[in-house]
Amino acid sequence: MKMNKKTFPSRLASLGVFGAAALAALTTSAADTVHYKSRVGSKVTITGTSTIHNWTMDSQIIGGSMDVPVGVEFDQTKAALNGATGGKIPMRVEANIPVASLKNGHWEGMDEVMQQAMHAAEHPQIVFRLSEITLKEPHAAGTPFQFDAKGDLVVNGVTNAITMPVSIESVSPVKLKVVGKKPLKMTDFKVQPPVKASVFKAGDDITIDFEWVVGRPAAAK
Amino acid sequence: MQEQENNSSPTGFNRRDFISNAASFSALMALMGGVPLHAEVATNAPAGAPSTGYSTVSAPLNFGVIGCGPWGREVLQTLALLPNAPVVAVCDSYEPMLRRATAAAPKAQSFTDYSQLLASKDVQGVVVATPTHLHREIVEAALAAGKHVYCEAPLANTAEDARAIARAAKAAVKVNFQAGLQMRSDPQRHFLLPFIRSGAAGTNVMARSQWHKKESWRRPASNPERELAVNWRLNSATSLGLIGENVIHQLDMIRWLANTKPVAVSGWGSILGWKDGRDVADTIQAVFEFPDGFNYSADASLANSFDSSYEILYGTFSAVMMRVTVEDGSKAWLFKEVDSPLLGWEVYARKEQFYKETGIALIANASKLPPAPKPGEPRPPQPTPLQHSLANFISNSGIVGKGIEDFIANYGADDLDGMREYITGPTITSSRRSAAGWQEGLEATLTVIQANDAIRKGHGHRVVFEKGSLEL
Repeated sequence: MKMNKKTFPSRLASLGVFGAAALAALTTSAADTVHYKSRVGSKVTITGTSTIHNWTMDSQIIGGSMDVPVGVEFDQTKAALNGATGGKIPMRVEANIPVASLKNGHWEGMDEVMQQAMHAAEHPQIVFRLSEITLKEPHAAGTPFQFDAKGDLVVNGVTNAITMPVSIESVSPVKLKVVGKKPLKMTDFKVQPPVKASVFKAGDDITIDFEWVVGRPAAAK
Repeated sequence: MQEQENNSSPTGFNRRDFISNAASFSALMALMGGVPLHAEVATNAPAGAPSTGYSTVSAPLNFGVIGCGPWGREVLQTLALLPNAPVVAVCDSYEPMLRRATAAAPKAQSFTDYSQLLASKDVQGVVVATPTHLHREIVEAALAAGKHVYCEAPLANTAEDARAIARAAKAAVKVNFQAGLQMRSDPQRHFLLPFIRSGAAGTNVMARSQWHKKESWRRPASNPERELAVNWRLNSATSLGLIGENVIHQLDMIRWLANTKPVAVSGWGSILGWKDGRDVADTIQAVFEFPDGFNYSADASLANSFDSSYEILYGTFSAVMMRVTVEDGSKAWLFKEVDSPLLGWEVYARKEQFYKETGIALIANASKLPPAPKPGEPRPPQPTPLQHSLANFISNSGIVGKGIEDFIANYGADDLDGMREYITGPTITSSRRSAAGWQEGLEATLTVIQANDAIRKGHGHRVVFEKGSLEL
């Protein structure tokens, strides 16, 4: 799984990025994959600390897509993951979170502060591009499949390679839910934690929790 | 995150300064034993303390102002005070008004036809400041054109028009609609809200408000056509009178703070000071009945200005007085009963800023006081409720506009139910700044329309708010 960030604001431009990334990273042809797109129902929470108390930023928008090889069925009721060979799955995943969609909801002005800290005008999206995903085995039937996901995370225009555990499960015949959590440091992405004199100082450490819902057309099943 | 910079010393406001300013209303209230209640979030930050300097100002919103009479020009002057409110278009059907508006917003395009203003792609949001009875057509067209809409209160002068506006605003999921009940955006009143609703002032006993101003409301008109246009407030066919144009804000505050809705209203109205052919009362009184025996009496007059305007909410433990003045902005004072318990309200008040005499200012949080003006120096201008309201309109319009843009970019434009759920869901809703929406605007408007009916019948005529009569 990856959180993919569009570096251009327009949809057209992001399609261009999508295409370029696909050329570079695609490991399977389109004919061999099932294409899943983002669906309503996703959510992400960034949790941080400060000298006052902890804070959160929430969003219900995670965009992007996931291409899964034909034959890979995330049927968590079964112990085995059909289609997975050698633990690795040649998936192509790009996910993105619009920075402006992250909302604090408690402190007036916090949204604007965080958008400036992440230079949202220049880098309006948080992006994740998957490079490798490996199934953790054994899998207990009835629980989501667990993976280690590696990829590039782009925040504030700064790219860092990260690894994080994610789970994938089917939530309907045509929908998957990808769940993950990753501790990060803002300064690793050149995001300066907000400081307001001696009143408020945000800590460097943050954690991203996400639930990403993706779906495929029913007819493509 | 609203923060008021403060580099004052702990004794920044001393008794001498207090006495020198005793002519001010706040000082007078302090002398009477009132404890001023401030909303500003204080800081103890020493001067020069490090800061990342991030701004809390929202992204700009390009404004079009429709209706450039005196209130429209007040809106223009207020927008000019905001750092993110460029006015790109103004509209008035009367050329002289338009010229005066253009002087206030020299970079704005001017239009005599509002539909041309709405066709401008430069305009992102509009303020509808026309006479009340002209709101509906303009608001509906603006929403249909995809503009964010700030509609002055009351929404309309008829229930039919008010409901039509509310329906259009409710349906327009892609834009932000705000009713011009500006006190709903006032941080001072938001500071009072938990204070009062928590019962710190005791059980609500009654409420009272007044709006007094010696002025005729009459404006010069060069011909009968202009007479109807500019003196619409004096004509009962187009005006809800004082209850609609002024008391509506006080009524809305009492309802909101007391967290209750009226069940009936009785009214009185007379023309006593300005017998110039008008058929709208220049002096009114109304008593609103709420459940559990709690009543609110409102009086308003154009014939006497004594003591200006304010609202008082009386509780069994204390009374809270609220008023807006030019020198102090929005402010409130607490007057406690001698037998009131030393509980939350007093502790709460002591933790807030005080702009009062030394005895109070020297308590633990005295360093939170804002800088006091030197003797003879003017007080810095305070943001008005309208300024707060328009600032919140800008922020909320940006949240809705960007939210829709993000939603469509990632989930497509076809899922209208999902879009509505997202925009009205907890993440977006909790991030919106305080403002009256279509529902608050509709309830207040329908209330004053029926109150005006009672006033026009007079002699204490009582109107019962039937079930559903204040709803869409």
